[in-house]
Amino acid sequence: MERTVIERSFQDRLSIFLRGNLPAVVVIGFSIVLAIFIAIETGPSQIANIIVTGGMWALLAAGLALVFGVMNIPHFAHGESFMVGAYVGYFVFTPISNYLKDNPNAVLSFIAPVVGVIAAAIVGAIMGAVIERLVFAPLRKRTRAGWVMNTFLLTVGLSFVLVYGTTLIIGPNFRGIPRYYDVPPIDFLGMRVAVDRIFAFVIAIITIAALTYFMQKTRTGRAIRAVSQDETGAQLVGINLGFIHTLTFALATAMAAMAGAALLFMFQAYPTVGLKPLYLSWYVVMMVGLGNVYGAIIGGFIVALLQTATQQFFGISWDLVVPTALMILILILVPSGIFGSEVKGIQEQ
Amino acid sequence: MDQKSLWNRISDGLGIIGFTPLGLVLLIVLALLPFVSPFNQEHILRWLIMGAFLAAQCVAFDFTAGYINVVNFGFAAILGAGAYTSAVLANTSPVISVQPGLSPWIGIWIGALFAGLIGFGVGILTLRLRGIFAAVMAWFVGIALLGVANNLTNITRGPMGMAPRTFLETTSNRPYFYIILAMMLIVYITLRLVVRSRFGLAFKAIGQNFDAARASGINPTLYRVFNFTLSAFFAGWLGGFYAHYFGSLTPQTLMHTSKTVEVLALAYIGGRGSLWGGMAIAFPFVFGIEALRSNLTDLPGLHLVIYGVLMIAIMVYYPAGFAGFYAWAKDKLSGLLARARGQAQPIEAP
Repeated sequence: MERTVIERSFQDRLSIFLRGNLPAVVVIGFSIVLAIFIAIETGPSQIANIIVTGGMWALLAAGLALVFGVMNIPHFAHGESFMVGAYVGYFVFTPISNYLKDNPNAVLSFIAPVVGVIAAAIVGAIMGAVIERLVFAPLRKRTRAGWVMNTFLLTVGLSFVLVYGTTLIIGPNFRGIPRYYDVPPIDFLGMRVAVDRIFAFVIAIITIAALTYFMQKTRTGRAIRAVSQDETGAQLVGINLGFIHTLTFALATAMAAMAGAALLFMFQAYPTVGLKPLYLSWYVVMMVGLGNVYGAIIGGFIVALLQTATQQFFGISWDLVVPTALMILILILVPSGIFGSEVKGIQEQ
Repeated sequence: MDQKSLWNRISDGLGIIGFTPLGLVLLIVLALLPFVSPFNQEHILRWLIMGAFLAAQCVAFDFTAGYINVVNFGFAAILGAGAYTSAVLANTSPVISVQPGLSPWIGIWIGALFAGLIGFGVGILTLRLRGIFAAVMAWFVGIALLGVANNLTNITRGPMGMAPRTFLETTSNRPYFYIILAMMLIVYITLRLVVRSRFGLAFKAIGQNFDAARASGINPTLYRVFNFTLSAFFAGWLGGFYAHYFGSLTPQTLMHTSKTVEVLALAYIGGRGSLWGGMAIAFPFVFGIEALRSNLTDLPGLHLVIYGVLMIAIMVYYPAGFAGFYAWAKDKLSGLLARARGQAQPIEAP
């Protein structure tokens, strides 16, 4: 028997691709045009700014997408993980930097911010695991009915407890650092970029790369993906569901905490610092489709671009209103997101 | 025998407007409280007013969350939109650019209508969406409304806040307490009458199984939009009361998501889908929390931590809430009574 191969011209294939991914093509095309326009209008420094903050929103949104994809939890307290990370970064970095004032040490001053971020990741992971064991595991044991909505409201309560618990224990004061690296900004392709921003971007890239490797190549990562596709099936082949759930939640919390520590020079640490990162990471996941981890990484950059564009053209006080209006529009037109969501059964619950 | 049927008739009549005889007694006690010793102090009267304000919000919130099963995350923002509309319409001072100088008594109705219009809009926007998507959509609308209120500085003064006229010239809190109590009753009785009619059945059907409800001939569009509009109307109305009672408005203290969460927590602790649960629990709650707050001033935010912890505990371990507990206790008690009567009868009978 002869195999027939359907020959399609490049144009045909392109048009099929474009039609199949119309919302994504429109949004990405629009973003590229907007980015070029901003670059011409205000110079390439803004683009560097977008790429740096975009990396961080990608990190946050990927965690949010992961938690939703694997555990079907719409995580409202994600911003509070960011807040905890910022505090850990502050409390670890400040003593080191005080010590460095008295006895300067080039190597230590280079690794001090890294130590802060790693400490934030560890604390975040522990916090995530504890929260999962204390709150979500008991609820899962009791009932799965109305799971998405119930866990959403649970995380709302959790966010309250974390924010006001922090206010109670640490107080409402702002705690910030002037900068991580006390060196002049670097000129790169005509852009002047602060070293702190490059540091934050490198952290984001390394973490995203590590996450991708972990999810694609390791046994545990594959188990996580299996659980997100089919929980019963995963259980049948011997995957320990409870462990995977705890691990996923810890991973997502650690990622948000890392973002909080890495952006300490921009945001400072205070109890409600997580609000804006929370809004923005929710914009990202709603735009790309709930539970789509890789889409969230691209979406992070698009939202950062939108945010910068709004600040540029409407003024800084509108920077939540205009993106929100656009997200409402996207939610009306394509509720499953521009890249589509592979998570089953959200619409029914 | 005749007496008993009269009693039954009264209790049935009360049932139509959503009261049990016990509830009515509690309400009368509540209405008389401002004349009794510890409660006639002005600051405690303020707590009572806060309690009634939150109680009424809980009822309007539960009308959406507990019946059509859509959590309106923009509730506080819609309430704030009503408050701002009414406050701007009543304005006479030159600090903002318009001075319509309308009476607050008319303004709150226009504010309510405007909020109802927003609710109608949210209802239309969330039509295609369910569960979490609808909640997030309402949330986004709330964020946008808050941002707009912050940015329309020439009529709202933005984050600086505005000082709307108050309803009355008096500084006493007692008249305000009766105003908000009456408003709470109107909200509760109206919504109770709605959910007792075939609308209520339709709401429950849509909330439990959207597709099955549609298949059995219920028009989900109509009912959902109607529900949102009515709930938002009352939210805006209550917002008007807030504006003209406290005499100070900022977007952050009124329209923020955390305000919605406070109402949501109370409605859930009270028992969702009961309408009265949140209302009943609001008074003791506000009292406990205000007492806590005034005694432990060095612990800011403790009351909100308690809200959060209670809400988590209720959702994980006792989702029926206070209303569920009441039904359980009543069942248990009447069971015990019946058994006691059953045992007593053979002995008494000669």
